[in-house]
Amino acid sequence: MLDSSEGYITEDGRKIGGVVMEMKNITLRFGGVVAIKDISFDIREGEIRAIIGPNGAGKSSMLNVISGFYVPQEGEVWFHGAKRPPMRPYEVARQGIARTFQNIALFEGMSVLDNVMTGRLNFMKTNILQQAWWKGKAEAEEVENREAVEKIIDFLEIQHIRKTPVSRLPYGLKKRVELARALAAEPRLLLLDEPMAGMNVEEKEDMSRFILDVNDEFGTTIALIEHDMGVVMDLSDRVVVMDYGKKIGDGTPDEVRSNQDVIDAYLGVSHD
Amino acid sequence: MPEQFVFAMEVILNGLMAGVLYALVALGFVLIYKASGIFNYAQGVMALFAAMTLVGIMNGQVPFAHLINATFGTHVHSFGWNVPAFVAILLTMGVMVLLAWAVQRFVMRHLVGQEPIILFMATIGLAYFLEGVADLMWGSEIKTLDVGLPQGINLWIDESTFNIFGYGFFLDNLDIVATVIAALLVAALVAFSQYTKQGRAMRAVADDHQAALSVGISLNFIWIMVWSVAGFVALVAGIMWGTKSGVQFSLSLIALKALPVLMLGGFTSIPGAIVGGLIIGVGEKLFEFAVGPLVGGATENWFAYVLALIFLVFRPQGLFGEKIIERV
Amino acid sequence: MAQTQSGAEGMQSLAALLDRNATQFGNAPAYREKEFGIWQCWTWAETATEVRALALGFLELGVEKGDHIAVIGRNRPAHYWSMVAAQMVGAVPVPLYQDAVAEEMAYVLEHCGAKYVVCGDQEQVDKVIEIQENLHQVKHILYTDKRGMRKYDHSQMNALDDIMAEGRAGHARFDAELNKRIAAITYDDTCVMLYTSGTTGKPKGVVLSNRNVIESAKNSAEFDHLTQSEDILSYLPMAWVGDFIFSIGQAYWCGFCVNCPESADTMMTDLREIGPTYFFAPPRVFETQLTNVMIRMEDAGKLKQRMFHHFMAHAKKVGGLLLDGKPVGFSDRVKYALGNLLVYGPLKDTLGYGRFRVGYTAGEAIGPEIFDFYRSLGINLKQLYGQTEATVFITVQPDGEVRADTVGVPAPDVELKIDDKGEIHYRSPGVFVEYFKNPDSTASTKDAEGWVATGDAGFIEENSGHLRIIDRAKDVGKMADGSMFAPKYVENKLKFYPDILEVVLFGNGRDHCVAFINIDLTAVGNWAERNNVAYGSYQELTANPQVLETIKAHVEEVNKSVAADEMLSGCQVHRFVVLHKELDADDGEMTRTRKVRRGFVEEKFSDIIAALYDGSETISTTTEVTYEDGRKGSISATLEIVDAPVVPVAQHKVAAE
Repeated sequence: MLDSSEGYITEDGRKIGGVVMEMKNITLRFGGVVAIKDISFDIREGEIRAIIGPNGAGKSSMLNVISGFYVPQEGEVWFHGAKRPPMRPYEVARQGIARTFQNIALFEGMSVLDNVMTGRLNFMKTNILQQAWWKGKAEAEEVENREAVEKIIDFLEIQHIRKTPVSRLPYGLKKRVELARALAAEPRLLLLDEPMAGMNVEEKEDMSRFILDVNDEFGTTIALIEHDMGVVMDLSDRVVVMDYGKKIGDGTPDEVRSNQDVIDAYLGVSHD
Repeated sequence: MPEQFVFAMEVILNGLMAGVLYALVALGFVLIYKASGIFNYAQGVMALFAAMTLVGIMNGQVPFAHLINATFGTHVHSFGWNVPAFVAILLTMGVMVLLAWAVQRFVMRHLVGQEPIILFMATIGLAYFLEGVADLMWGSEIKTLDVGLPQGINLWIDESTFNIFGYGFFLDNLDIVATVIAALLVAALVAFSQYTKQGRAMRAVADDHQAALSVGISLNFIWIMVWSVAGFVALVAGIMWGTKSGVQFSLSLIALKALPVLMLGGFTSIPGAIVGGLIIGVGEKLFEFAVGPLVGGATENWFAYVLALIFLVFRPQGLFGEKIIERV
Repeated sequence: MAQTQSGAEGMQSLAALLDRNATQFGNAPAYREKEFGIWQCWTWAETATEVRALALGFLELGVEKGDHIAVIGRNRPAHYWSMVAAQMVGAVPVPLYQDAVAEEMAYVLEHCGAKYVVCGDQEQVDKVIEIQENLHQVKHILYTDKRGMRKYDHSQMNALDDIMAEGRAGHARFDAELNKRIAAITYDDTCVMLYTSGTTGKPKGVVLSNRNVIESAKNSAEFDHLTQSEDILSYLPMAWVGDFIFSIGQAYWCGFCVNCPESADTMMTDLREIGPTYFFAPPRVFETQLTNVMIRMEDAGKLKQRMFHHFMAHAKKVGGLLLDGKPVGFSDRVKYALGNLLVYGPLKDTLGYGRFRVGYTAGEAIGPEIFDFYRSLGINLKQLYGQTEATVFITVQPDGEVRADTVGVPAPDVELKIDDKGEIHYRSPGVFVEYFKNPDSTASTKDAEGWVATGDAGFIEENSGHLRIIDRAKDVGKMADGSMFAPKYVENKLKFYPDILEVVLFGNGRDHCVAFINIDLTAVGNWAERNNVAYGSYQELTANPQVLETIKAHVEEVNKSVAADEMLSGCQVHRFVVLHKELDADDGEMTRTRKVRRGFVEEKFSDIIAALYDGSETISTTTEVTYEDGRKGSISATLEIVDAPVVPVAQHKVAAE
């Protein structure tokens, strides 16, 4: 089922398309330490793909490779059928890969609305002179982007904090604002770095619902990393399991669950 | 109307006009500090450099003439043409953008993530280097700058105030023009940072580098832009002060005037720089007017610093700076 | 205004009123809703078109006369339209509480036999589908918010939009039928059915006729001189009778504009933006706002604080008098005007009361300080006493006769009597038709002459003619020594402290009283932050010794004031606990309208009550809680029991009752 290049149909009947991103034999080293060792996997159009593993397994490093924050020493990254040359993170973002951060990177001094608006920066094409004149093109552009942002604000149910400075928000809402900003970029691939970290049960459920709804409503391809197995298994279509920088499993949640190496990694030898 | 009161009014007006100029210089600091956390010691020298470049271009001076002549034994000094002020200003702006790029490319880019004190030291180095380059490029003699700004007493104000108060106010045309231009510039800068795409990106970078990268903002571009804007501000300040008191080394010392303004207004606040500038401007002129004669004058040299010091004690974050909250 | 048998001014139904409004005030705004950050507006003419499209859509779906159509969702124009459209096709609209758990909703849906359900969003649809598994009566589900709905089986489901579009497209086929149905509506046909949450037992379906709704709306609108130009903010549950009367009854009678907030959480912002002229809120809303104002003032600069306190003191002195039209000296008037410029005006604008002309609070007693605070600002806040069974209005406070401790005089056309046990009875044009499918309850509540028993104990003040409520008739009891036990009296006094959210007093048949207390997380949390008191959870905060000390001080003060009342001095709180969880409707401890279910609480926390009476110093307990999605869990805690100082009362005085 998985090796068909045409994609596959999920259990709940969603159509998953062709490969969006492919990691080929990625190896990442920090000095002498090997963070990722020869890992390959792909992410397909419209799917929710999870990368899991115990703490220190190299999940975050992998996400940072995808988003361009780290450049691997070996291996190739293929995005939409083309090999990606080494890029800076902002160039990766401009290619349509948006992300959130495990410990939240928001513009604390700005309002929620302004934060989400920054997600639209790459949609603003008018030059500084047009903006100075304001009327016409620049105004239309601002209105258009604002509308797009309002739809996302509505979707993520953060209308009540639209004008609130981000620094005043509680943790759970900050996570949601960060998701909103990533969504505002209308990403072709959305990367979520431990979206449920530090949340209570109710917040986790809310976040899960939002992730599913985003995937359902906008058809966004999502790759997320998480160390909470339970949540991930419910959410994702396919899962990559990492341990000590190596890939020890890859498949549907059921396949992964019954994989002996994975069971060992999670139950047998934990290493925090 | 009592005479003292009328005099004081004139003093306040003059103070306000000086204040706007202080604010302008301070703004250059604030812009760079906000976007990159760097306290740019070279801001004053940038004003000097800009003014010298402007004069040089206007007079058709050959850059590095001294160096060229010494090396090749030639005697070139001038291209023999004069460039109109407007074109020269545009060209100078181009030079400032080039400078911004060079600073970013050759200095700051290698220092990303370093301690603030290191960055500060780098700008001190930059200041002296730039001063040297400026002398080498355009010669170190005092130059006069005239871009066609009106100068001298404003007769209309003199006359109309005389008719009202029986005493004519002495306001220099240059000061008035400078005030108007500075005010416009300040408004433009505020509008730029609040409402434009680039302004939004600039604020984003100032706030969080990682997050800015993740939404596709190129830090390098923003930093070059910020240094360019600071260069532009320096150019405007250079023109104003250069026209007033000649283009010479002391021009770079206006940076020192901006320091108390920053202490007052906070290093991170654009409105703070404006209000701080006005307070210092009016304060020092009024103080000189009221107390100066009693202590033998020259209070303008130190008044601003004393005021800033008092402020530091009671409100270390400045008037508009972000509140410093110490959590126990 | 002549009232005829055929309806007030010939208007027999909501459909007739809508038609009149569309003709007379066609271009005036009828509904506004904030969506995507912008206020969208519909005029009366547009509203008439939309509602008609929806009614046609209902006909196309096959809605029969007498069918029940349940509406479950937050306040949105589409939901109000659904109710009016339902009435047009001869069906009965039944708005339900959207935060009800599936179990409660199942009972109500089954009881009314709703064949059609209008759901606000996916969450409500899921609930209905879950219920439908055991209850196969629902023929069709409609939903307003399309989000997340794409993957559902749509064989018995549609977006409301689509039904309206179908209605428009098929109007030629159904126009005649719709006109026939509208024409057939009589003044005594059912207008709406509302379920009362009831503090005991299962909810009852109160059937209100067009007569009930339109007469009540007309009388109350005339009483307060409401006009076509009012703006109201509709944010209270649609299933509550008050919202139906304000947002539909009075809105259609007067033709004023109903504004719907963007979401429940944005209510305060929306309130500020709309600035309603006519407003209704339970005391809780006013309390929250006042708490927020006070918190903000504590953060404000010294000068601002001084100015605020100075002018508020002056407002307290003369503001209420000015509002009541009583004589006030010239210099006080000038000072008040200055205060209005500097403090009251800006404050009212921030609160959203800049245009406030008249407004009501009801449902619970409001703290006198809170009540006076708003009135002193010049906000004409009044109290009323009402019930679902009365189509809201029983007594109302007329302008100029407003006090914190009464609920006013009988509303127009309302007769009032107090029986020998002190229970209040009333008779009015608003008296409900019946409890749906429950003749026994109908008979025990409403007698043959149309008098309805309220279940509340109270008395009419002799000199003013105002009604005063003591407590629920069944809650008033006797202590072991025979003195009167009126829990609400004490609870309300305690609840007036911003730190205290909820209190339950026990003592019926006992020799002294004990209490459960819920702290207010906003107020206490803020205090904790200000004083660098770290806390990880609500539970941790409730156990903080400083918090307990503060609450103890409040209890002590209340005891002093209770002791001053001869009749009730036995009700002083001797011991109390601060509960480790908030009493919650999801756990059955409160009704959806946030009234404590006393009996239930007494049973659920019987271990804590036992400990309060047996002199223990702490009590360890485990409590079941229900999460939002209906799953159960439990929390354990060890609670400290606090002894509160009481004022000794001479024995002979107590017996004086």
